[in-house]
Amino acid sequence: MLTSLYVEGDTFLHRQRPGAKLALILVFGLALYFTELLAVQAAAVAVTGAIYFALPMPFREAVQRLKPVLFTIAVLAIFNGFVLSWQEALVSTLRLLAVVFLAAAVTATTRIADFMETITWALRPAERLGIVRAADVGLALGLVLRFLPDIFGHYEALKQAHAARGIAFRPLRAIGPLIILTLKDADAIADAIDARGIRGR
Amino acid sequence: MDIRFSDCSVKFKTHVALHPFSLVLTERRIGIIGLNGSGKTTFAKLIDGLVKPTSGTVTVNGLDTVKDAKAVLSVAGFIFQNPAQQLIMPQVMEDIVFGLKAHGLAPAEAETRAKAALSRFGIEALGPRRVHELSGGELQLAAIASVSATGPDILIFDEPVNQLDLKNRRRVVDAIHGLPENAIVISHDLPLIEDFDRVLVFHEGRIVFDGLPAAAIAHYREIAGC
Amino acid sequence: MTTKDIVLVALFAAIIVALGFLPPITLAFIPVPITAQSMGVMLAGTIIGAKRGAASYVLVVLMVAIGLPVLAGGAGGLQKIMGPTGGYIIGWIFGAFVTGLIAERLVHDGQPEVRQYIGFFLASIAGGIIVVYAFGIAWLCFSTGTPFMKALIGNLAFVPGDLIKAVIATLAARAVLAGYPMLPSRA
Repeated sequence: MLTSLYVEGDTFLHRQRPGAKLALILVFGLALYFTELLAVQAAAVAVTGAIYFALPMPFREAVQRLKPVLFTIAVLAIFNGFVLSWQEALVSTLRLLAVVFLAAAVTATTRIADFMETITWALRPAERLGIVRAADVGLALGLVLRFLPDIFGHYEALKQAHAARGIAFRPLRAIGPLIILTLKDADAIADAIDARGIRGR
Repeated sequence: MDIRFSDCSVKFKTHVALHPFSLVLTERRIGIIGLNGSGKTTFAKLIDGLVKPTSGTVTVNGLDTVKDAKAVLSVAGFIFQNPAQQLIMPQVMEDIVFGLKAHGLAPAEAETRAKAALSRFGIEALGPRRVHELSGGELQLAAIASVSATGPDILIFDEPVNQLDLKNRRRVVDAIHGLPENAIVISHDLPLIEDFDRVLVFHEGRIVFDGLPAAAIAHYREIAGC
Repeated sequence: MTTKDIVLVALFAAIIVALGFLPPITLAFIPVPITAQSMGVMLAGTIIGAKRGAASYVLVVLMVAIGLPVLAGGAGGLQKIMGPTGGYIIGWIFGAFVTGLIAERLVHDGQPEVRQYIGFFLASIAGGIIVVYAFGIAWLCFSTGTPFMKALIGNLAFVPGDLIKAVIATLAARAVLAGYPMLPSRA
């Protein structure tokens, strides 16, 4: 159903710890905001773009993934070209491109399981304070992936129920019933989780 | 197995689900029959501690379902009426491993135990399958494997063959009959409990019959008027 | 949080992801696409309340961050959060919380229907539009250098669409409150 955006490979980025990669985005991104030098931003785009497009995936796929973000950045660049000076617009556009290339590269080189490990680690202080349990995050994530297909099932069932009774189906009006159909299982699912002792220890 | 109910009753707000009763269950195979809404599921959930008694106590192998709730859960496993709701991870294997890890097993051991649980019921092929794609019979067997993997002494079934076709019914019935664990089975499928050791008949929140299957079924038919 | 709260949070996050599969409408003159998914902010707050609604969005944002394509049109990954519209995504969490907070205070069982509708509508506008815009525009201005007033005016183009979403969310929230109320239980 949901395939991760991870790309199989063994590049330098693949081998780094997820925490280190997230820190890199943060530090790198922040650093770019401290300079208005066109040359620096251009160099940053060149480097991050090279890293991203050198990843072991087809060029078309690499472009496809960034299409929505690139579109937004393009529209903003044109918009800013009118409301700001062209130099300012160019600097901010290049900066965004660099950050987005790097973020996309980190996403493509980090497995979900590794991210989850980092999240569990990052949640440890909060866990000690009793705010959240790291295991619950993994449980919730599993539940989303498990029950997402069921929601599409409910949606189809609603559609057919309408058809069977000769009523026109209006997707937006089905949202309420769809939510009820989905959430009414919550009690039974929660009971089952408790019965299996999953949150026990 | 040793389950004891003493002066136990269950009330939901103003509705009395189970009137006060005392009972000791030790037999290996126990059937529970009765009309819809007669208190069967509440009774079964009482054993697992999913429903707490409003008055009185329930003990399972000496453990109190209120005070030792967690320990009771590892002694008694529950297979729900709709097993799709209890398989909570996307893939069957993932689900069993997740449950075992939550019980404190190391990942490698959980994996081994999960495989053993699947092969015990002859459903190794279901391991990599996605839960939402399983048929009714496969779901039921996967749930049995998932619950029994953690090693409970007692398995409680809530209408396990409801809505199954003949072939899948056969598979699930055989699996239940072959269990070395103790089993307590709620069923509308009367042949399933025909050779059980003891059958309880529920009616309007009371146990109105307690004895051998043939007599229990006769009593149930009388209540239902058919 | 009880086990049931966690299940509700997860199921609602799944609903939010499912809403993303309804096709989005992209208006060429504005950098933010209109998605049924952003209606989820209003739905989450009005249906399962502030804490659980916000938690659902934390889960969604987490999924985006770890590289699951759960956003409208199958988008996801850190690039969406770090990109110019990332503020809206983060804003969803706070928007759901504020929507829930207001809905929990304005709407009760046994009120006249009209008051429930009004309560849900106001909550949806405050949390689902004002709060989300505040975060979205703030990050947009910071990351692109667009002057605040210009960005705000640009965003106004979305207000009609978002008001329609608030109406749909209000109807759905009221239907759920009547059929399977969860808001009163809070978390």
